[in-house]
Amino acid sequence: MWDVMLKATGETMYMVFFSTFFSVILGFIPAIILTLTAPDGLKPNRAVYQVLDFLINTFRSFPFIILIVLIIPFTRLIAGTSLGATACIVPLTVSAIPFVARVMETSLRGVDKGLIEAAKSFGATDFQIIFKVYLKEAFPGILSGITLTLISLVGYSAMGGAVGAGGLGDVAIRRGYQAYNITYLIVTSLILIVFVQIVQNIGNWIYKKLS
Amino acid sequence: MVIEVKDLYKSFGDNEVIKGVTFDIKEGDIFGIIGQSGAGKSTLLRCFNGLEGYQSGSLLAFGKEVNKLSRSELRLVQKDMGMIFQNFNLLNRLNVYDNIALPLKFWKQNPKSAENDKRIRELLKLVGLEDKINAKPRELSGGQKQRVAIARALVMNPKVLLCDEATSALDPKITQDILSLIKKINEELGITVIMVTHQMEVVKQVCNEVVFLKKGKIVAKGKPEELFVSSNEDIKDFAGDDSDILPDKGVNIKLFFTESESADSPAITSIARELNVDFEIVQGKLENFRGRILGSLIINVDESIKDKVVDALEKRKIEWEVL
Repeated sequence: MWDVMLKATGETMYMVFFSTFFSVILGFIPAIILTLTAPDGLKPNRAVYQVLDFLINTFRSFPFIILIVLIIPFTRLIAGTSLGATACIVPLTVSAIPFVARVMETSLRGVDKGLIEAAKSFGATDFQIIFKVYLKEAFPGILSGITLTLISLVGYSAMGGAVGAGGLGDVAIRRGYQAYNITYLIVTSLILIVFVQIVQNIGNWIYKKLS
Repeated sequence: MVIEVKDLYKSFGDNEVIKGVTFDIKEGDIFGIIGQSGAGKSTLLRCFNGLEGYQSGSLLAFGKEVNKLSRSELRLVQKDMGMIFQNFNLLNRLNVYDNIALPLKFWKQNPKSAENDKRIRELLKLVGLEDKINAKPRELSGGQKQRVAIARALVMNPKVLLCDEATSALDPKITQDILSLIKKINEELGITVIMVTHQMEVVKQVCNEVVFLKKGKIVAKGKPEELFVSSNEDIKDFAGDDSDILPDKGVNIKLFFTESESADSPAITSIARELNVDFEIVQGKLENFRGRILGSLIINVDESIKDKVVDALEKRKIEWEVL
């Protein structure tokens, strides 16, 4: 049992960390665009904001299991296959991008408008305002957003079993639930609980250190 | 002239907030823009350094029309105009030193260079916060935060300091300290100060020139002591004039004194002796304008002796008005 668990834990971590990594990088861009084009942003642009806003809402409304199936051609294009843990990173990332974008947008737009105005009054360029004021001030909030993303991806990755990605969720469903082995259910749950607790606590600790 | 405003109009959509104002600000002034909330004074201040645009009229900053400047020319004007705010607007995640250094970074200067480091430390000394160099803003009191903001505003060696309600979030004692600091900066560094405020006290204590703004228009301008003694209804209303509690029988006459007059001749008692009349003193006020004491006194006299009293006042060249 333990080697099964070890392998599954490894797969879950692999999927979760890489999809978090890619979704943070790719979600950052729409988050910045949303912040800039928002009505109270540096470059208000109603059309751009509303289109992006609509796209994010649309992607967020797909149930993950349906998204996996819907984007199979895209997954094949990127990962070469639609099966396995590596392939599963693609739908996980795609589902997390709009989430990351929203969470980051919320942190960035939470930055006091007075700071932006002060920076402008000192002759800061828009670029400097984004990096030296917005990101600097919102950084702790963005980091807790990343923690949040990572934890919700642990949940999504459990559905990876559907595309043969393995992972703890897959073990819990197939060996625990479908094969009536309560031990598997309990152990996978315990591992996930411990994992989420550790991630959340590290996240909180860093947040405190930074803010 | 540092700022020349001529017939300036500014609106947000259909809402016209500045309606044709004209005035100049000289180098070395501590210039006050006073008025109630919503009078357009903060918007006007933001036009000076290009944070807000304007629709018509002319606004020259250092002789240049602000809304005709390119982005890079505007940045240079902004470099010459430090700005402080009601809510301080310090970056919470930067310590005092890094907050002061922020404008240097915007100008691609290394804050750690010997010259800049020396400058930041000098400014910290000027505002009296040498011991807080590594503190974060949340560890500071409101007055200390404003001192950091002042140091930050001065780090690029500006010619002008713009103060947007800089003392409105502070208690009276701290307000005094910040005002003394602003005065010191004006006197020792020769920096022109432009203050937007709704606090009459602030204007009286530090400003040498004032415009009074109401609903986007200038209703009075001049020296604070002139404004104070004028009978402008708007200013009276704003300064909380309490003439409505005066007695309603007889005639109420308000007299204005400057320091020298009241010291040279004890006018009231001498008039009483000369005319051999009695009158009641119903209100008296002394006010401090940048160290100059000005006073006003309201006397209540019987209708029958009004003319005699007025003659006596005229003879002594005392300003007066019947309320």
